[in-house]
Amino acid sequence: MDFVCNFPFFSILLSLFSGTICSILPGRAAKVVNRIVIAAVGVMSGILLVYLLGTGESFVYWMGHFPAPWGNEIRAGVLEAGMALFFCIIMYLSMAGGAHKLFDEVEESKHNLYYILINLLLSSLLALVYTNDMFTAYVFVEINTISACGLIMIRQVGRTIEAAVRYMIMSLLGSGLLLFGLCIMYDLTGHLLMSNIKESVSVLIQTGEYQIPLIVSVALMCVGLCIKSALFPFHAWLPDAYGYSTVSSAAILSSLVSKGYIFLLIKIIYRVIGFDIFNNTRIIDVLFVFGLMGMIFGSLSAIKENDIRRMIAFSSVAQIGYIYMGFGMGTQAGMVASIFHILSHAATKSLLFIAAIGLTEVSGGSRKFIDLTGAGYRNKWAGVAFTAGSLSMVGVPLFSGFISKLLFAQAAVQVEGKMLAALIVLGISTVLNAIYFMKTVIRIYAVTGDTSYPCITFKDMKVHAVVLVLFVIVNILLGVSSQPVVNMIEQGLAMFA
Amino acid sequence: MGPNLLVNYGEAVAAILFCIGFTNLLLQTNLIKKIIGLNIMDSAIYLFLAEKGYIAGRAAPIVTNGVTSVEAYINPIPSGLVLTGIVVSVSVSALMLSLTIRLYLRYHTLNLDEIAAQLKKEGR
Amino acid sequence: MYLILLPILFPILAGVCLLVCRKDLSRKLLTVTTGTCLVITGALAITALTRVKQDFTLFYLTRTLPVYFHIDQISILFSLLTVIVFLCAGFFSFAYMKHEQKEKRYYGYYLMAFGVLNGLCFAGNLITFYLFFELLTLSSFPLVLHTGSKEAIMAGLKYLFYSLCGAYASLFGIYFLCQNCDTLTFTAGGVLQVSAASKDGSFFLFLAFMMILGFGVKAGMFPMHAWLPTAHPAAPAPASATLSAVIVKAGVLALIRVIYYIFGADFIRGTWVQTTWLALALVTVFMGSMLAYREPVLKKRLAYSTVSQLSYILFGLAVMNEEAFTGSLLHVLAHGFIKGTLFLTAGAIIYTTGKTKVDELRGIGKEMPLTMWCYTIVSLGLIGIPPTGGFVSKWYLAIGGLAGDIGIFRYLGPAILLVSALLTAGYLLPLTIRGFFPGTDYDYQTLQKREPCPLMTIPILFMTILSVLIGLFPTVIVDTLTDFVSTLI
Repeated sequence: MDFVCNFPFFSILLSLFSGTICSILPGRAAKVVNRIVIAAVGVMSGILLVYLLGTGESFVYWMGHFPAPWGNEIRAGVLEAGMALFFCIIMYLSMAGGAHKLFDEVEESKHNLYYILINLLLSSLLALVYTNDMFTAYVFVEINTISACGLIMIRQVGRTIEAAVRYMIMSLLGSGLLLFGLCIMYDLTGHLLMSNIKESVSVLIQTGEYQIPLIVSVALMCVGLCIKSALFPFHAWLPDAYGYSTVSSAAILSSLVSKGYIFLLIKIIYRVIGFDIFNNTRIIDVLFVFGLMGMIFGSLSAIKENDIRRMIAFSSVAQIGYIYMGFGMGTQAGMVASIFHILSHAATKSLLFIAAIGLTEVSGGSRKFIDLTGAGYRNKWAGVAFTAGSLSMVGVPLFSGFISKLLFAQAAVQVEGKMLAALIVLGISTVLNAIYFMKTVIRIYAVTGDTSYPCITFKDMKVHAVVLVLFVIVNILLGVSSQPVVNMIEQGLAMFA
Repeated sequence: MGPNLLVNYGEAVAAILFCIGFTNLLLQTNLIKKIIGLNIMDSAIYLFLAEKGYIAGRAAPIVTNGVTSVEAYINPIPSGLVLTGIVVSVSVSALMLSLTIRLYLRYHTLNLDEIAAQLKKEGR
Repeated sequence: MYLILLPILFPILAGVCLLVCRKDLSRKLLTVTTGTCLVITGALAITALTRVKQDFTLFYLTRTLPVYFHIDQISILFSLLTVIVFLCAGFFSFAYMKHEQKEKRYYGYYLMAFGVLNGLCFAGNLITFYLFFELLTLSSFPLVLHTGSKEAIMAGLKYLFYSLCGAYASLFGIYFLCQNCDTLTFTAGGVLQVSAASKDGSFFLFLAFMMILGFGVKAGMFPMHAWLPTAHPAAPAPASATLSAVIVKAGVLALIRVIYYIFGADFIRGTWVQTTWLALALVTVFMGSMLAYREPVLKKRLAYSTVSQLSYILFGLAVMNEEAFTGSLLHVLAHGFIKGTLFLTAGAIIYTTGKTKVDELRGIGKEMPLTMWCYTIVSLGLIGIPPTGGFVSKWYLAIGGLAGDIGIFRYLGPAILLVSALLTAGYLLPLTIRGFFPGTDYDYQTLQKREPCPLMTIPILFMTILSVLIGLFPTVIVDTLTDFVSTLI
């Protein structure tokens, strides 16, 4: 086994322990440690990705000395390494983009606490991505929830604490269901490792025994993860949590945390239940319907919203709907489209959050649309970046959003029964997206007579501007050269089997 | 299904308890009652696991008198899972409780709806 | 090879630079820079049109969808129109924009729209075309809401909303075409697989209809025409000239590309799609003229006239025979020059007098004789009186309509075209009449010559002359068109 194979384990451990180290460091040092860790994990994931693309097959890494049915395992394939790399890039950019606001938002004595939480979050995300053991996944789901909750409430305002409580409650409901489903699955199969469960499940399906408990267990796990990733009817906590926490938190929560759960669901679908077995259940139809509803109702709520950050948060609900719609199609193409949309949405949504903060800064800190009038002139970089993000969300060619919509549509065309519903809702949702994002763009570029707000130039916001440019570049890269990414996703899914 | 439920009454009770805890966590407006619901829900799952791990007439999974046959002991893994679960549940409950204290200090109520109403009144 | 990219990228980059540039340029410097950029772009476009023989693939969006450029006769026709109208309106705006705010922003988006239109003309496959079609909407809608008044913003939003809805309706079709065509490269005669077309014929007809409706939005076809009469008057006059003369023609270009190059004329001919399309086009022709006839505000009247005249073109496309198609292409050119001139004259009138309603403009012909003579000449052209450009194109359209195998529309079509021509006279000529013959009670004492500066009159004069030239020597164009039109039909 090559040395590179240690990297997944190293990255989880590195981020976990750097969190502990951060607790004794002062804020500034903790920040440096945090950045270095994210960068190091990113580099390791990159090397791992290259290695895996070279060997062309995934590998399993024993945690401890015990082989398959007893020991705990890590598993890495192209998709896992790619996701880890992407998560690190987005996380690094989000942290850098929101850093200058941190002093306004969080008391300085608590800065190191903030970085602990970020490191913990990173380690739990990595563990969710890499783990091959269901119970480990559950434990890290909880760690993820706790650190995400901490990230929401570190900005001590009434709203954020309330949002954190709501977030915790919904998350705990979700993880309770996940745990219960997991236990039933363990009861049925006697295993906790994904690959072993899958063997037993296929035996169970062949013999036709315990069909109902099996479906119940799968359904419980799915519903649990849907709640945690804020699929449509379970999204009530989301706008407050994303709308009032610190910028970096909002960007990371919307683009990474929910995606971690969705990635776990993908792993469960492929590696625990088996893609074909999952598609034969009625669960995908339920996911499909809720996905479609999320696409419409999320956008409708966003149109009604009068606060730019909450509007972006509601738009997340719609985008999560897209992803579940892709799952609901029950085809490989739908799954590829969903995974591409995970990437595209992560890149776009964090861009929007970071750009929005640039706009509110020059509007006296207010997030109401009425105050944002003309903000695009006062902070040109943020204005342009916000416009680019909006265009990507609306699905204009050259941006990543267009490709994911194209992939969704191409996937939908292949599914007989769901084609029309998917395409029509895709159309309605695109138009709704266009309404609220274009409304915002016009608002920030409207001419205003009010000159009381300051203008910001490049000198005042060097890091912020560079981050925005990098985000836009990531977006355009995904939109222009999507083919290598899609190939990688397909290769990764093939490794899942 | 009917006879199975009678035989596995432990699991049935666990499922019912889970539902009770779940509804409490979801529907109660009082934060403390919500947390109690959470704990009922978690305990139900531990009951389920313990019930699954126990095999009537066998000993605890500790080697005594040199008997190493698998047949002599119960399955130790569910017990391990329960322990891990308890740790997670404790930390989550602690976090919830601390959040509740924060909210109570700020708004002098434990009712989540009232807090939301007050927040709306604050208007930010 | 890369020459083909220059007329697209250069103005877009120049526009972006203008927009990004933070320094407040003096007015003189700004106009000189923009003028140079416009002239260079025009020169580049013409060089590309004459020199580039090869296709050019820029990169691949996904495995099967390249961004691909190709120049054919249709590209040449539309590109020439674009270059001429953009240059004329551009120079006009140097004088006109004096009384508007935020000139830099205007010129920035103006240049960008120029580049995007070049890209639209050179696009060699459906995806590239769609890309530039979306970009065109985005780069032209700041021109609509330029003044920033509430009306302008609402008009801009309406324009954006209609265009995006239309573009999505077409994208709906593109999704399916991706699956069922070997390639989306524009090929004369269509690329739809025979097997797919015969198996799901009715479904593909539905798709074709969706795409006609969707791209028809840009061309102001009923029932999605409502954006046009609000958007045109809201924009500054030179911008409305380009909107009306060129940008709405993007919808026409789109329909030519989709129907004749993707689906193939044979697939559509004789189906319900053709019939409905003809009916919609004729309804629009009549309705546009009627609305224009009743409209008191000059620019709005011209906008309704655009709605009507564009559907002449669409009618010709829908008939699907050689004469009608030639007529359509000729009308693209003729209407482009004529409507460009009309909007520029309207702009000149507003600029000098500040009046917008037709009734207020009594005696305007005495004040601005040159401008009003140009107005009158091109008006006659739009009505279709020889020897101006409009006559020839309408002649071909009518002949094509009569010769077409289109049932009742064979007679109905030319009849409605005639009625609409009368209405055209009815709504355009009153201004001439009032302008030159203000009546006996007109106070000649206060009359003063108010001809606008040469920067305004020369573009107007130039386009007027072009529109007359098309009418005098139509054979030059018709002869080059016939060869390749026959490959399409």
